[in-house]
Amino acid sequence: MRSLLTFITAFVLALSLGLGSAWYMIANGSPLTTGHIGSWSVWYAVGNPDADPYTKAYLARTGRLPITSTSALYYHASEDESGEPLISVCDYVIDGEPIDAAWWSLAAYTGAGRLIPNKAGRYSFNKNDIIRRPNGDFRITLASSARSGNWLPTADSEEIQLVLRVYGPRNNNNAIKGRLLERFLPTIRKAGCQ
Amino acid sequence: MRLFWLVLPIALVLAGLIHVAAVLGLPYVAPRSAWERLSALGEPNEMVILPAAAPEHQSLPMMAPDVRYAVCRFDISEGPVRLSTQILDDFWVIAFYTPGGQNFYTISGGELKRNKIEIVISTKKEAIFEIGANILDDIDDLIVVASPKREGVVMIRAPLSGPSYALRTELALKRATCSRKLTGLDRPAR
Repeated sequence: MRSLLTFITAFVLALSLGLGSAWYMIANGSPLTTGHIGSWSVWYAVGNPDADPYTKAYLARTGRLPITSTSALYYHASEDESGEPLISVCDYVIDGEPIDAAWWSLAAYTGAGRLIPNKAGRYSFNKNDIIRRPNGDFRITLASSARSGNWLPTADSEEIQLVLRVYGPRNNNNAIKGRLLERFLPTIRKAGCQ
Repeated sequence: MRLFWLVLPIALVLAGLIHVAAVLGLPYVAPRSAWERLSALGEPNEMVILPAAAPEHQSLPMMAPDVRYAVCRFDISEGPVRLSTQILDDFWVIAFYTPGGQNFYTISGGELKRNKIEIVISTKKEAIFEIGANILDDIDDLIVVASPKREGVVMIRAPLSGPSYALRTELALKRATCSRKLTGLDRPAR
């Protein structure tokens, strides 16, 4: 009887350990597959036919069709620079330097991945429609009420996630997979909460 | 207790096997893949313009709000498929995918250095020259893309320089074609 119990315990342990570790490495990534730079995380091989099985599993779970990592990179952020989750009751200041790429866009979504409804019809800023300082730097304010400058509205959304798409990153070769870009990723700072 | 120490290594090995099976198996059981979603929107070898992403609707999860997308689900089991489109900007991207979402070929406007593109998608086995010979007289600068699978997706991404560019971009995408007919499509009527 006791030996049966031992076997059942061992099996349950194996099942939860196996599935749990697989789930963790697909949902959160691991140093093998993903990079974490400040608030941003990136799957380095997403969309690539030569990607590892974890990246392929991650891709299948998203249901998206990303451009292969040698031609575009997708950075995701759901935390500010101090590691607190991005929420709509707070305002955030996103400061960035020029991003060396053919095109880029920074868009805000709800935690569930929907665009956030707003009267301004503004869901993102991109390389060509953002207002810059004379030196090329830019600042985006993520807030639920109207702001001057580059205002990205967050009304009626509990959690916020940001996606920075970089098409045609320059200085990009297979060996470094655009990691040179990462020194220039925008910072996300909390500016106050209601 | 001794039994426990005997069973533990077996449990760990089993955990490893379950881990590997779960990771490798997930792509086959994942619900609502991009391929399934696109299949619901149109027939094979037909260009479909995805509606612009909006808070109440997205054709695929987390689409870019400032990109316009045209998609053709191609099926080359009965012969090659031809894709024609204008390219309005250097940052337009045409990407080819397997049904599983692996992006096996990409070309951007910047690499093309011209404002129109003609692509023939065929299997790797088909002699490229054989396809090309018939239609090379009709089409300048033809690009032949060899697909590793008989089915797949080609997606044209047209990023907007700003909201005021939306109409112009959408009109250009509407003129894009995807068809089994290899010739006579230079001025498609729509």
